[in-house]
Amino acid sequence: MKILVAIKQVPERDAQIGITASGRWIDESDLNYTINEPDAYALEEALQLKEKSGGEVVVMCAGPERVGSTLREALAKGADRAIHIEANDLGERDTLGVAQVLAEIAKDEAPDLILTGLQSDDLGLGQTGVVLAELLGIPHATLIMHVEKTVTGLRVKRELEDGWFQHVEMPLPALLTIQSGGNKLRYATLMGIKKAKTKETKTLQAAAAVSPSIALERVYLPEKQKETEMLTGTPAEVAAKLVEKLKFEVRVL
Amino acid sequence: MRAALKEALSRGWVRMVALVCAATVGARIAGAVLSSEIHFSATLAEPGKFSRLEVALLLIGAGISIALFFRRFGPILCIIFRSKKDKDFSLHPIGRRMWDFFWEVLCQGKVIRQRPLPGLAHAFVFWGFLAFALVSLNHLANPFGLAFLRPASYVGNFYFLFAAIWALLVAVSITALFVRRFLARPIWLGEKLSYESGVIAFLIFLLMVSYLGAFFVGDGGAAVKALWWMHTLTLLVFLPLIPHTKHLHLVLSPLTVFLKRDGFSKIPPLSSDEDFGLIAGKDVTQLISLQVYSCVECGRCTEHCPASNTGKVLNPKEIVLGVQSYLNQSGPASDAPLLTEALVESRDNPPARYMSMEAAFECTTCGSCEYQCPVGIQHLPIIIGLRRGATNTGAWEDTHGTKLFLALEKQGNALGLSAMERDKFIQKQGFPIFDGTQEYCLWLGCMGGYDPKGREIVADFARVMRYLGTSFGVLKKEKCTGDPARRLGNDLAFQTMAESGLKSFEATKVQKIVSICPHCVRTISNDWREYGIAPEIEHHSEFMARHKDRLPQQNSGESIVYHDPCYLGRYRDVYEEPREIVARAGELVEAPRSHERSFCCGAGGGLAFLGEETGERVSHVRAAELVATGAKIVSTACPFCNTMFRDALSSMGDAPPQLLDIAQLTARALPTMQKTGER
Amino acid sequence: MSGVLVVMEQRGGAWNRMSFEALAAGQQLAAKLGIECSAAVIGESVKTLVTELAGKKLAKVFAVQHGLLKDYTSDGYVVALESLLKQTGPVYVVLPHTYQVRDFAPALATRFRQSLISDVIAMHDGPVFVRQLLQGKLNADYKQADAGPCFVSVQAGTFRAEDVEEGAATVENFTPQLEASQIRSKPGELFREAAHTVDLSAASVIVSVGRGIGEQENIGIVEELAAALGAELAASRPICDNGWLPMERQVGSSGQTVAPKLYLAVGISGAIQHLVGMKGSKTVIAINKDEHAPIFEVADYGVVGDLFEVVPSLTKALLAAKG
Repeated sequence: MKILVAIKQVPERDAQIGITASGRWIDESDLNYTINEPDAYALEEALQLKEKSGGEVVVMCAGPERVGSTLREALAKGADRAIHIEANDLGERDTLGVAQVLAEIAKDEAPDLILTGLQSDDLGLGQTGVVLAELLGIPHATLIMHVEKTVTGLRVKRELEDGWFQHVEMPLPALLTIQSGGNKLRYATLMGIKKAKTKETKTLQAAAAVSPSIALERVYLPEKQKETEMLTGTPAEVAAKLVEKLKFEVRVL
Repeated sequence: MRAALKEALSRGWVRMVALVCAATVGARIAGAVLSSEIHFSATLAEPGKFSRLEVALLLIGAGISIALFFRRFGPILCIIFRSKKDKDFSLHPIGRRMWDFFWEVLCQGKVIRQRPLPGLAHAFVFWGFLAFALVSLNHLANPFGLAFLRPASYVGNFYFLFAAIWALLVAVSITALFVRRFLARPIWLGEKLSYESGVIAFLIFLLMVSYLGAFFVGDGGAAVKALWWMHTLTLLVFLPLIPHTKHLHLVLSPLTVFLKRDGFSKIPPLSSDEDFGLIAGKDVTQLISLQVYSCVECGRCTEHCPASNTGKVLNPKEIVLGVQSYLNQSGPASDAPLLTEALVESRDNPPARYMSMEAAFECTTCGSCEYQCPVGIQHLPIIIGLRRGATNTGAWEDTHGTKLFLALEKQGNALGLSAMERDKFIQKQGFPIFDGTQEYCLWLGCMGGYDPKGREIVADFARVMRYLGTSFGVLKKEKCTGDPARRLGNDLAFQTMAESGLKSFEATKVQKIVSICPHCVRTISNDWREYGIAPEIEHHSEFMARHKDRLPQQNSGESIVYHDPCYLGRYRDVYEEPREIVARAGELVEAPRSHERSFCCGAGGGLAFLGEETGERVSHVRAAELVATGAKIVSTACPFCNTMFRDALSSMGDAPPQLLDIAQLTARALPTMQKTGER
Repeated sequence: MSGVLVVMEQRGGAWNRMSFEALAAGQQLAAKLGIECSAAVIGESVKTLVTELAGKKLAKVFAVQHGLLKDYTSDGYVVALESLLKQTGPVYVVLPHTYQVRDFAPALATRFRQSLISDVIAMHDGPVFVRQLLQGKLNADYKQADAGPCFVSVQAGTFRAEDVEEGAATVENFTPQLEASQIRSKPGELFREAAHTVDLSAASVIVSVGRGIGEQENIGIVEELAAALGAELAASRPICDNGWLPMERQVGSSGQTVAPKLYLAVGISGAIQHLVGMKGSKTVIAINKDEHAPIFEVADYGVVGDLFEVVPSLTKALLAAKG
C-alpha cells in the first residue's frame, strides 16, 4: 500500500510569541520549528501500517527551506521518500489554496491512502485534509484513532464526542485525518537518522497562489492572560464562584 | 557470615567432606612425621639424578600439558584479537597505567581494601606465586641438570627459605579461602558451589605442601623424588586448567588492568556510521573481549550493585560472563544478538534472563561494579553499549523511555515542560542573566530549573553565592545536558543536546560554570568532550568548600548523615568537600556504606525517568539505611538523590529526618537578605 | 435568499445542543447585517425537530430529508447541502463546530471555492470573525475576501443557546437528489469502549486527589465531587502507591498523561512528577491549603483553603446548579 503523509512544520509549542510591527503575523526570527503534532501521529500510523502490510510511505510538506529539517526527521523515523514543495507564501494562501498545492503532488503520486493530522498546532483550522480529499474526489474520514486494512479497503475507528466511537468502512483510495494519541509515537533514533541520509528528497515549486477566499487581517494577544485567579471567601462563596467559572469560563456545565 | 557458616555446617554431607579432608591431610603429615626419613632440616632437599625415562616422561607430560593449555588458550587469544579494534584506544597516559598496574596488580591494593580478609588471603597467594617464580623454574630445570639455585649456596638457601615462608602463607591462605567458599558460602560468589574452585584450591595446596615437604626429607632419596614428581604433576595438571576456568585471570588480568580504558565509566565514541553500540558479537571490541575473559567470578560487582541487591534481574557478573559465553558460542564476528530473552545458564547462579533488555535497563550506572572490580573489567561501557544497541536502533520500546526522548527532542528538557516555566522561575528569583561580565555561569539543569525541590536547592545556593559576593548569571536558554539520553544509550539525543550546549556556552562566552547537579557536572566536563571542550565546571560542594571559612559555623549539634552521590563520589572522587560543608552545619554522621561504597539512590542511568521498578525500591533501601543511623538530618549533594529520598522518607514513619541539600544546610544559617524580585 | 443559513445538527432525532448556540449566532449575525436568518435540519425524517424550530425567529426552516440521510455520512450531507445552498443562495452559512461539522463542512465549502472559518470565538462588526491561533496564545481576525457564501463554524460556549429568539418561521421541505453510489463510506454503529481500564486521557473533566486528603476514608468527598461534575477520578502517585485508588488512575510521569478540558486538583501540591502528567490541561483549578504549593503556578483558578470544607460546598453548589 502506498501511503502519502502530508505534514506541516509549525513553530514549537513552547515558543515565545511576538507579533510583527504590522500586526499581521508573528515574528518568526527567533522561532524554532518542529513537526505538527497530529501529523506526527499520522506519520506514526502510516509507518505502522507499512510495518504490518508492507508498502511505501512518502511524506510531503509545503513551505520554505526550513521545512527540510522536518522532512529529514520524518525520513529518520522511517518514511521512504520525501517531497518538499517549496513555497514562501503559504501565509497568503487560504486552506483551499494550500490544499490545491498538495493536490498537485497527490495526483502525481497517486497513493492508495493519504494521511494527515487532524489540525495544525499553529492555525488549527483543521480542514486541509478534508479539502484535499474533496479536490481529489476521494472519500475521507476525520478524527481517526485506528486504521485497519481490509479486503475491500479500510476499516477505521472514528472518535466522536462524549466518549463515543464509530467504525467506518471505506474503499481505497481514501484520505484520513488522524487524531493525536491513537498510537505511541516513536523517537528518532541514530540508526534512523543515518538511514535518512540515503533516502530521496524531491524538491518541487508550488504553483502560483490564487486569490484567497478568506483573509487573516491581524493577530493580537488575547485580553485575558493566564493569570492564576485566586478565589477567596467562605467555602460556600468560593463554591458559588467556582460554579460560575465552570459554567461560563470553562464551559463544562 | 557466622550464620552462613552455621547453616553450612548444619548440612551433614558438608561435615563429612570437611572431616575427610582434615583426616587426609592430618594422616599424611602424621605419616610423614612418623616415617623415619622425616626430620626437619633448614635446607631444601634436592632430588638428585633423573633417569632418561624420567626426563622423557617429563618432556612428554610437559608437552601434553602445554598443548592442552594452548588448545584452549589459543582460541581465546584468537577471539580477543579477532574482535573489533578499539578505535579510541591509546596507551597514553602511560604513567597512570603503570601506577594502576603497580597498585592494583602488584600491591593487590583494591583486592585487599575492598574485601580485607579474603583480599589479604588472596594477596598472599598471589605474592606467593610471584615469589615462587624462580623456585618453579629451578624445579623444572633440575632433571636437565640445569638447576641454578643450590640449597647449599648462600643465595639459594636464603631464597628457598624465603619461598618456604611464602609457601606456608599460601597454604594457610588457600585453606582459609577454601573454607570461606565451601563452608561459609558468601552469596556473592554465587548460589552454586564451584567445584572447579575446589580443585584449584586443592592443587595449590598440594603445590605448597609438596614444596614444604622437601624440607623434611634428605637429598637424593625416594621421598624427595616422590615429592618432586608430585609437585611437577600438580603443575602439569594445573597449567591446562588455567584457560578452562576463571583462573585464566592469572594470565590475563595483569594485562587487563594495564590496558583498561582511560577513565571511570568511559563510554567510547561510536566508531563509524554503522556502529550503533553492542548489538552483536561483531560489535564487541578487543578490550571488552579481554576483560570478559579475565573475570574471576569474585562477585564483588554484584555485591555492591543496587539492582542485584533489590531483587532485580540485573547481575553485573552475569552480564560479563554472559558476554564471555556468547563469545565462546558465537564468536567475535557473529551477527547473533547479544541481548536475548532466553534463560541464560550460569556457572554460579540459577538460570535467569541475565542478558535480557530488561536487565540491561535496570542499571543505575552507579559504577560500584566497575569500581570494585579487581581485574580491570569495566562494566559500564559494556552495559551502556548494550543499551546503545537497543536504543539507537529503536529496538528498545519503553513508554517512559520514549516519552523522555520525545521530551528532549521537543522541549529540550528531560521533564517535557515548557521552557517558559524556567523563565518564570528565573524571573521570580531575580537571577541575573549571564552576559559575560559575571564570574560564574550558574547552570540550573533540568532539576534546578523545573523541579520544585531542585529549585529550592538552586535558590539557596544562589543565596550562598550572593552572600560570598561571587558574581554569577544564568543562561537565558538552557537545554538538558543529555545525561539521561547518554546513559540510556540514545546517541542521537545526546549529540543534539551536547552540541547545542557547547554552542550556547561559546556564544555567551562562559568561562566558569557551577552546578548543583553532579550529573550535569559529569556530563558537561566529561561526556561532552566527544563533541568539543566545555568551559570548566565544578560542583557546588567544591565551590563552597573553597570558601568554607567564610561560611557560618553552625553549632546546632544536630546529627547529619551525608549520602555520597554516585556521580560526585565514585565518578568525580569528591568526598571530603561536601563533608566539610556538612561539618559546618552540624555533626557529621557516616552511613554504613559511604564514600566509594555509597549505595545508589536509584535515580541514575536515566532510571528517574522510567516507570515502576520491580522488586524493592532502591531509594527505599538506601533511605532506610540512612534513617537507621539515627541522624536528625539526611544531607545530599544531588537533586536526584534529594528527590528520590523525599519520596522514600515520606513513607517512613511519622517523624522522618529532615532532608536537606548541602546548599540548604548552609543557606539556613545565612542572614536573610533582600534581593530584587524575591517574593 | 441571500441571508444567513444556520445548519443544525441532530442524531437519531435528538438535537446536538450546540446547534442552538449556532442558531443564536446566526440570528445575531443576521440582525447586525440587517438580513434574514434561516435554519436547515438534515435527516431522514425530521418533522418534530423542524416543528420546534418553527417557533424561533427565523425566515425559513428547511427540512432536508432523504432516506440516504438517515445516518450521517460526509458524502450525503455535502451533496444534500450543496444543492440546498445552490437553491437558496445564502451569503453566510453558520454551523456549530462539532466533530461532525469538521468532517463535512470543509468539503462543502470547497465545492463553492470557499474556505471555512472554523472554531470562531467571537463575531465583531465587519463582520470580522475571531479565531484562536497557537493553542490559544493568539487571537486572529478573519474576514471574507471574495464573493460567495462565507462558511463559519462557531466554538462551543461562544454563544448561549438561551439567547435564541422566539418567533415564527415557515417550514419548507427540501428533498435533495441523492444516489446510493454517491455515498462512498459505510458508517457503523456507535459504541463506547468497554470500561475495563480507565482511560483518563479520554476524559474531558478530571478531578484529581492528592496527599492532602489525608486518609483513605476521606476520598469519598472527592468522589462525590467527581460524580457531581460528571468527571473521571484521578490521583497523584502517593494515593495510588498506598493502594487507595488503582494505579490506572495515577496521573503523572509514571502514570497517565492527560489533557482534559478541566483538571481539578484537590489537595495536590504539584510536584514535578505530577505536573508533567497534567500540564496539557486546558483549564486547571487547584484547591490546596498551602498558598505556596507549586500547583498554583499552573492553575487558572486557585483556592487556598481547607479542602474538607471547600469540596463539599462545591459539590453542593454543583448539584444545585444542575438542578
